[in-house]
Order: sequence, then structure tokens, then C-alpha cells
Amino acid sequence: MKAYKLKKEYLKEYLKSLEDFGEVWGPIKKGEIDVYEKITDYSLLNLNALRPILPLKKFLIPPKFNTFFYTKDGKYENALKEVKRKIVFGVHPCEIHALLTLDRLYKERYPDYYYLTHRKSTWIIALSCVPDDKCFARSLNTHFVEEGFDLGFTDLEDYYLVWVGSSEGDDLLRHRLDLFDEKITSKDLNRYIEWRKWRDNQYQLNLDLTAMPDIMELSYDLEIWNEIGERCLSCGTCSMICPTCTCFNIADHLGIDDEPGRRERFWDSCMLKIFALVAGGHNFREKRVDRVKLWYTHKLKAFITEFGKPACVGCGRCIANCPVNINVAEITKILKGEEVKK
Amino acid sequence: MDKEKKLKIGFYEFSGCAGDLLTIIHNEDYLLKVWNSAEIISFRLATSKRDEKANLDIAFVEGSITAEEQIEELRKIREKSRILIALGTCASFGGLQSMYSHLGDFSSRFNSIYPHKFTILKPIESKPLESYVKVDYFIPGCPIDFKLFLFNFTRLLRNLPVELPSYPVCIECKWQENNCLLLKKIPCLGPLTRAGCQARCPTHNLPCVGCFGPYEDLNLPSWLKTLQENNIPFKELEKKIRMFFGVKVKEILSKLKNKK
Amino acid sequence: MSENLYEPIPMRIVRRYDLVENVRFFQVRPVEIERALTINYKPGQFMMISLFGVGEAPFSISSSPSRPGLLEFGIRKIGVLTEELFKLKENEIIHIRGPYGNGFPIEKMYGYNLIIVAGGLGAVPLRSLLLYALDNRDLFKKIYFLYGARRPNEMLFLREFLELKEREDLECLLTVDKDDTGSWTEKIGVVTELFKYLKDIDPQKTYAAVCGPPVMYRFVIDKLVNLQIPKHQILMTLERRMRCGMGKCGHCVIGSIYTCVDGPVFTYWDVLHMKDLI
Repeated sequence: MKAYKLKKEYLKEYLKSLEDFGEVWGPIKKGEIDVYEKITDYSLLNLNALRPILPLKKFLIPPKFNTFFYTKDGKYENALKEVKRKIVFGVHPCEIHALLTLDRLYKERYPDYYYLTHRKSTWIIALSCVPDDKCFARSLNTHFVEEGFDLGFTDLEDYYLVWVGSSEGDDLLRHRLDLFDEKITSKDLNRYIEWRKWRDNQYQLNLDLTAMPDIMELSYDLEIWNEIGERCLSCGTCSMICPTCTCFNIADHLGIDDEPGRRERFWDSCMLKIFALVAGGHNFREKRVDRVKLWYTHKLKAFITEFGKPACVGCGRCIANCPVNINVAEITKILKGEEVKK
Repeated sequence: MDKEKKLKIGFYEFSGCAGDLLTIIHNEDYLLKVWNSAEIISFRLATSKRDEKANLDIAFVEGSITAEEQIEELRKIREKSRILIALGTCASFGGLQSMYSHLGDFSSRFNSIYPHKFTILKPIESKPLESYVKVDYFIPGCPIDFKLFLFNFTRLLRNLPVELPSYPVCIECKWQENNCLLLKKIPCLGPLTRAGCQARCPTHNLPCVGCFGPYEDLNLPSWLKTLQENNIPFKELEKKIRMFFGVKVKEILSKLKNKK
Repeated sequence: MSENLYEPIPMRIVRRYDLVENVRFFQVRPVEIERALTINYKPGQFMMISLFGVGEAPFSISSSPSRPGLLEFGIRKIGVLTEELFKLKENEIIHIRGPYGNGFPIEKMYGYNLIIVAGGLGAVPLRSLLLYALDNRDLFKKIYFLYGARRPNEMLFLREFLELKEREDLECLLTVDKDDTGSWTEKIGVVTELFKYLKDIDPQKTYAAVCGPPVMYRFVIDKLVNLQIPKHQILMTLERRMRCGMGKCGHCVIGSIYTCVDGPVFTYWDVLHMKDLI
């Protein structure tokens, strides 16, 4: 992979120049949290943001969007023809791992038109990160990324090492080649190696997830799950903020008067009671605890069966967002019988 | 749609702020479309033209029943309507005016607030429509959300049943990319409350007050526990639930007692 | 631009009539006649039927790919979408996408005996398999069709199945729990009682396919296991809530599998080693 250097003072100028390609998005502070937003004022860009509340999936499958328009006489048309190109800056490795998982889920068996259409228009500029006490990407080996981005920025104090990850990334870079330094010296190399060693040791939260599929299987009928089930608010927050949760529902909205109707697709959560309810009234997961179990089975076991790796990427969003402290770290510890600090 | 085939619809109001009907009127972009797509038989806030004798396909009724005279009036509307819909939280659950219905008997409460005799109407405890007549569907909200109203209005015109979001406010709150107020131990009723409002209050950094009424799968014990652990007394939390959940409060709290 | 697999194709209702009370037969054909023969499916697969403005839901295909051109469904009126479907008349247009699901592993079943056990509405997907086997009779050994309903007037495709009794190359056994007509000439009793008519079956060379109400499975499976049919040769088709049919929406997920793509046909072995399947 080809790499360049970009002096930090050029960053904002460079990002702004990328508006020639499309909208430039990045993490911006909103109260205590960060949100991926379209950048108009580059001074607002939060380079230290760790986990924008909604992950990258919001670009690829928005929380709600129209799939079809239809008229009363039975004619219908695809509601999503084109998506404006967005260049998303500041995406961390764990999120890119989630993206790679979504790519497999949405591109392989029965490619999803809506995902593909959004995906094609979403260009990614990765940015290295320093973990906080909620990050556990190293435990899942998602703390580093070699593919899935167009440009990859590694923060080496006064400059960024910029990796070119795709042909589109090459276009982005060449757009302002004048700002980049092509010469990588052995000093740069050493600095990079040192940085990696240092950064990989910054993880405060380390989970041993090696035997999770078996543990999920063996713990299935244990009483401890009931306590977790009683605690869960069934609010669905975990599904909304998890970078690999992409369940959805569909609803038809009729048009009023001469307006066309629309078919809308929107995020759903398996934590909601209605999720597995079938016509006729039978609910396959009536009990809260069964829904919590499904969620964690799907994160920590099912994806391993399907894709050879867990769906969890260690981003820490569930730790940061569940109002009653149910999250991957907590569940892992409980299931493994480890003491959980309240 | 054929002019002849337009459904006959009436809008009515009892005790409340008229906020639900005003929500319909204030969406000027849609007002004509609403008028075009149905035969509006009665809508006192919008037109003086009305026909009180005609039978209705659908009656939208706002407000709770707070006077004896209203019971008869409501029954008349029910009799002439194929479908009756409780519009807004007052009509659905009793509204704010039901907030203290658990505190002793009505007349002593009433007299303590209004020591001077009323003569216009005979006041009674505030109750939702369902306490007196069969209600086919509920469209809650204080006030209703126009988009949710429109979604269901068009469904009703097509003879489809009303459909409400089957998820709590938290889902919409996350779509709005808000930080959870419960994390800051602010008693937000989001996880207890049915969505439909686009998480309006949390989006303005204010806790949800539950104005859309209870979410069918709410987990009250866990919600209480997480806040009580942070020294918010039960009394205060209970008061928050009472504010909008109206007659549903009894049912919700009784489950809590059974659990204990 | 890539193909939008969520896009349904318009189909015309060419026939519809009530099979029993609240269960209606729908025979449909793509509006564009050229497309009619391009719809390839397997017995046991399902399609998503769409009514714009109302919604979309999965329905088992009841026709057999051995009789191409027309698709058939047996649909029970059970919710908003089906109620709207029941209001449609012949020659009206609905929208359909699919087929979806794994279907029966039909090639593996060649050269085997077939025991098809249906209860109530379970006859809808199993009719597809039955017709397929009858249309390719030489590919299978003995064929048994066991069908139970509560009452004669709840038996789907009754006349069609009664006619099958005249065929000598299959054993068609029909039973009702209770005969309230007085004119029922077939068996009376639950479907498991029909197993006593199964003679000289080499279990290793037999596939069984079961579909019916959830309560029926356990009893039927007991019988099949008693016959020593291997667990992976006992097939059943399951029902779940579905929104996409393509392993995306997540509604039909059970543990590690998507009912819509990994199923709806599962083996008894799948059911045993995966949790919560039935």
C-alpha cells in the first residue's frame, strides 16, 4: 500500500478541498457525544472523537428512507436512484471492520440494492485512534485495519502518515498532491513502528472472547440470563448504536389526495417485543430474556458461524450507551463468572 | 377517488386544550388535502358548516370526559359513527386532568380547588373515552404528531386499521443522535413511552414526559431501579408517570406491586 | 446500476376461490407473459406478496415447478394484508418477488420413498412437493401422502386429493379429527394414526416431509423416528416473521440462522441441535 505524509497544519485545507468530490462529513461534538455531520466549519471537526453515537451504518442504510413510490393506479417506482457522494473523515479501524462485515452481509448473498447504492457513494477516510476505557477492539483484533478505506490517516504527532487504500483514495490524494510529501524516511518508519507498539498497549479494557461461541451455547439455560433479562429496558438503544446491527422493518405510507404513496424502510431491533411476532399472534420471543439472549448470540456466536468472526468490533458503543449497563463487556464477564464492578 | 365514495368524517372535542385538532389545522400544507380526501361533516374549530344529523364513517374525538353532560354527547357521536377514534392523550388515557385521580374522592378534591359552586356543567372525574363508549383506535400524543396522524388518516381512508409505532421513544431518540438522558440519571420516560413524537423533548435535551402514553412492553421495575439507585425517590418518579399515563397508571403500578 | 431485488413484479390473479372458510386459493401469472416461464422455484420455497399501500408478507408456494407458468398459493385470512388480498378479484394485479428460501432438497430425494405428512394449512407447501413428485413419478420410490384436518370442511384441496386416491402409484391417506357431516368416507382420527397404514418401508431410503400446526410436529416426528427414518431425512418447514426474504431484515433469525435463506425447510437434526427452532 502506498503511503504519503501530510503535515497536520494542512489537514483542514486538504479536507475542504475534497468538497470538489462531494460532501465532507466527520465527527463533530454535540454535548457530551460526537455525531458524524456534514462539515461546514472545519474548526468544529473533533479529531479526538472516539465513537460518534450513530456509526458508519447511518450512511449505508439510513435510519429511515423510502424504497418505493407508488400511485393509486398500481404504478410504482424505485425511490432511491442516486445518493450524493459523501467523504467521511475520521473513521476508526473498529468501524471499518464493522463496514467489512456489513459488506459481506449486504453484498454477497442477495445483494441489497439500497446498501450498494449508498455504499458506492460513501468514501472513507480512516483515522487512527487512541482507545479510552470503553474500547476493546484489540480483544477482537479489530484495532487495526488493512482494507476497507479509501485513505487511511495515522496520527504521528506533527504529521499524518496517509495510506492509499483504493483507486478512489488515490484520486482524493492526487487532488492536492501539492500538500503531501511522498518521501518516507527510515525515521518515519521507526516512528510508525514505535507508535503502533505504544498505541496497541493503550487498551485498558481487555476481554478474552476466544471461547465465546461455546460459552454462549453452554450458558443458554443458566439463571444469570434471567437477571439480565429483568434489567433490560427493551428500549432498543443497543441495536440502534451497534455498528453491525442492521435489522429493519418496512411500512407503507399511503399518499393523501394526489400525493404518491411510499414504502419506507427503517431500523428495527430484535430487542423489541413485536420483532418476532407472526400473523395470527404467535410470538417466538415473547420473553425479554430470550430477546437479550438472541442479541448476544448473534453478536458473539452467530456471526462466527456465518463469517468466521464475531459481529462485535469492540467499539464500546454499548458500554457508552446502554442506560442499564448491559453490554458486551458486562455480558462476557458475567458469563465467564468474573466479578462485575457495579 | 370518487366524490360519492368519500368517507364522512367528523372531528369533535371534549375536555382538553384542543391541541390535537389544532395540530391538524396548523399543518396548512395538508389542510386542503385532508379536506379534499374526505367529506368533513363536523370540525368546529375549522368550519361553522356542519351536519350534526349525518351518520359518520369516522369520528375523531379529542379530550377527556369531565362532565356528566359530555357522556351523553359522546354516546351520540358513538351511535352515529362506524369507527370512533380517541385522538390525543386526553381522549386515550384521561390526560393531565386524570393525574391526581388516585388521591381520594373526586368531590373533595374538586371542592378544595374550586370552593365556589359551578353551575354550567356537572363536573366528574376525568376519564378517557373508553370508559364510556367503545373506542376502535387510539392515536395518542400531547399533542398528536401530525405525521403519525396523517399516516393513520390515510390508512383509515383506505379502510386499513390504525397502526402505531410498536417501539419506545428511545428508538426515535437514537435516530436523532441524542445522548441518553438516563445515562445522566435524569428521569427520562423514553423507554416507558410509545414513540411517535420523533423524540421531540430529548432532542431538545429535555427528558421525555411520557405524553404519548405507555409503551406496551415497558420495563418499569428496571427503569425505577436504575434511577432510585441514584437517589431519586420513588414518589418523584411515580409522579412523572402519573402525569400523562392517566388511567393506565393503575394497571402499570399494580404489576409493580405484584412483582414485589 | 445493480438490480433491485426488493422490486416485485406485477402479477395478475387468474383464479381465486375459497379452499375452505378463510383460506383462499390464488392462482397468479406475471402480467408480462414472457416472464411467466422464467420464474424458477423449488417445492418448499416461498414468495413475498406485496400490496402497495398495505405491505408485504411471505407465502408458501403451493404449485409445482413441474407445471410452470402459473403460481399458486393457499392463503389464510389472518391479518391486515391477507384481509386486503381477500378483497381482490380475478384479473386484479398484485406484486410478487421471489422465490426465496432453500426449498426441499429435491435432488437428494430422488430414488427415495417419500412420506409427506400434512396437518391443516401445512398442505399448502407440501402440495408443491407432492405434485412435483407425482409429475416426476419415476424419480421416487413409494409415495405416501398423509393429510389430517380437524373437520372435512377444513381440508384444503379436498377434491383434488380425493381424486389422487384413484392413483395406484401413491398412497393418499386423508383423515379428520371429527366428522360433523356424516358423509365423510375417509379416515377419522389424528394424522399420526395414519402411520399404521405405512408398510414395508426401508427407513434409510426414505425422506419424510412434515408441515402443520406446531402441536403436530412432536407427535409426527415421534412416529417417524420410530420408523427409524434418519433425523436428517425428516424435513419440516417452519414459519417466522419476515420482511425481506433475503437474510437482511433479521426478523426470522433464530440463533445463527435465517429462516428465510437457511430455511424454511429444516431437518429434524437441525431442530435438535439448534435452539428455539420449534
